[in-house]
Amino acid sequence: MNLPIRVPKGGPMHRAGQLALVAVCALFVFRVITQWSNSGIGLLADALIVALAVTGVNLITGYTGQLSIGHAAFFAIGGYVSMMLVGGTVSTPFFGDDNVWSPGWTIPVAALLCFIVGAMVGLPALRLKGIYLALVTLVFVEAVREVFRFKEWAGVTGGASGLKSGKYLPPAWTPFEGRRDVNEWIMWLALALFLLCTALVTGLLHSRIGRAMVAVRDNETAAAVMGVDLSRIKTVVFGLSGAITGIAGALFGLKLGLVDPDIRFFGILGAITFLVAMFVGGAAQVWGPLVGAMFYVFVDDFARGVGESPGDSLLLGWLVGEDTKLDGLGGAVFGVLLILFARFAPLGAIGTTKTLRSRVVQVVPKPPEEQATSEPV
Amino acid sequence: MSLFIERMFNGLADGSIYALLALALVVIFRSTGQLNFAQGEIGMVGAYVVSTLTLSGWPVWMSILAAMAVGFILSAFVERVVVRPIEHRNPGAVIVALIGAFLALNQAAAMIWGVDVRGLASPFPTESDDFVRIFGAPIRIERLGIIGVLAVLVFLLYLLFNRTKVGLAMRAVANNQDSSNLVGIRVGSILLIGWGLAGAIGVLAAAMLAPSAGLSTALMLGPFLLASVAAVLGGLDSPLGAVVGGLLIGVVKAVLVGYVSFVGSESLFPVMLLVLLAVLLIRPNGLFGSATVERV
Repeated sequence: MNLPIRVPKGGPMHRAGQLALVAVCALFVFRVITQWSNSGIGLLADALIVALAVTGVNLITGYTGQLSIGHAAFFAIGGYVSMMLVGGTVSTPFFGDDNVWSPGWTIPVAALLCFIVGAMVGLPALRLKGIYLALVTLVFVEAVREVFRFKEWAGVTGGASGLKSGKYLPPAWTPFEGRRDVNEWIMWLALALFLLCTALVTGLLHSRIGRAMVAVRDNETAAAVMGVDLSRIKTVVFGLSGAITGIAGALFGLKLGLVDPDIRFFGILGAITFLVAMFVGGAAQVWGPLVGAMFYVFVDDFARGVGESPGDSLLLGWLVGEDTKLDGLGGAVFGVLLILFARFAPLGAIGTTKTLRSRVVQVVPKPPEEQATSEPV
Repeated sequence: MSLFIERMFNGLADGSIYALLALALVVIFRSTGQLNFAQGEIGMVGAYVVSTLTLSGWPVWMSILAAMAVGFILSAFVERVVVRPIEHRNPGAVIVALIGAFLALNQAAAMIWGVDVRGLASPFPTESDDFVRIFGAPIRIERLGIIGVLAVLVFLLYLLFNRTKVGLAMRAVANNQDSSNLVGIRVGSILLIGWGLAGAIGVLAAAMLAPSAGLSTALMLGPFLLASVAAVLGGLDSPLGAVVGGLLIGVVKAVLVGYVSFVGSESLFPVMLLVLLAVLLIRPNGLFGSATVERV
């Protein structure tokens, strides 16, 4: 048999492969809802929320080539907007019952606000490139965090102690009830929003804007010469990517039911997490954010467990003795994993898998159908 | 007036630490074109080495020199093992690898030395009466010493870059790796030396900072961020820019904390963002950075 096997695009073999992939995913989801514990579902909800945040990063960094270490700021803004509106700490005339909003409606508000802030962050990107831009976005994260911590505005943002406005309890029309099912409800909501945003991103990529984005990434000067309006593309895409990450932040706030300036994902570590998850999944891959976020959340959780009770892990328990408590071992293992990942899968999980797969199976365009009747010339 | 002078000197001393760290970042950026995310953590590990050595009876200055040697080796190791194998394949992968190195070093330090904050002996006299009066303002000798360390290091780096063959080779590699290779410079060794040098400087910065800030695994997180801002402000490929940027940020911080009551130390970064934007929007490559010429 000759490798690689060539499969015509859209042919029965290709469709069967796609169907198998969807079936595996569906099986995974089915298993999750029937088998997993509440904390496992909470973890999956976290993974989906991070995946949504990373989708925003992927849009601006993966597809448009503008390195942003600043998306934790949009995540924080999203989270704070939802908690501020639900808690009724800002005065919103005409909206909400006594300024208190229903949790679901805070998500679009967070998206809109993050779009505006994102477009503003996109303005320096007109002039700054690469690491210079990345550093400005990184400082932006800390700046936003300090604004939320600011003492004088504690009436609105809660200052250093944050806001506890309560979780998003499942609405009456859902099959979930009460506090017990919050994680499951948020998980489904996050899944739906993630799929929606991914569909939007895919649509965008096939549009005029999407092609302009890739052109800006590959060669900015050439793109400008071809008539791409750089300033418009950069501000609009920064806004969109901020909005997507802001939605994720709002979901995160609604899942926890509280926000404070010290939440891990709101600071530099969060910003780095999103960037790393994007690269681990594969930059400029539609499903990259999902894979990267799953990797991050589950490996991080595993690594945390390793640090707390090495006895639970067979290999490590044997290596360091079952009763030893090692601060930092899990994190160190995670760091080394990242280094190995960068070394052996530099294109990210999806990119590298695709490269490896193309050695075995290649999807080729359909051969042109033979013309049944030849037209007289 | 004397309070003002005291605050200025404190700001300059803080700024000297940022400047040291920014210098380390610049040395690496010039050779590899990357922001070294692991820079601060290499310094932090070095500071723990200083702590271990002084506790076992070494004199402080000897411990610092030994720890700088450790930092040199550690940083060169990171370049050779973590960065070089992937450098030419994908810039994104290098970022992931350096963040991995950051995490691994940070957590390994927590594993080896624990997470509790510990003190570190200062190489300068730190008794309560160890100060000199400058225009009537009491300036602690420790603060002056840190500024002095920066001055000495800048002088040594100047000699290294401009008066030695290795320095010439390092400048050549920073300018153009391929051409350097063609004229017979061992680019690999020069990169190792550059990264090692940066590691040693990072350890020096951490050893200057830890006595007053307290030694913990979180020691370098804030300073690393400010040092990156300093390096970017001055221009990532300019050692002079790093020093100016570092001192500038130290002074700005001191002025903010001292005089602008509604800002204070907890709202440093919004101001930093404004400063950064004000400078970069006028000079996108920093105050002293060289502009990149685009060819089409």
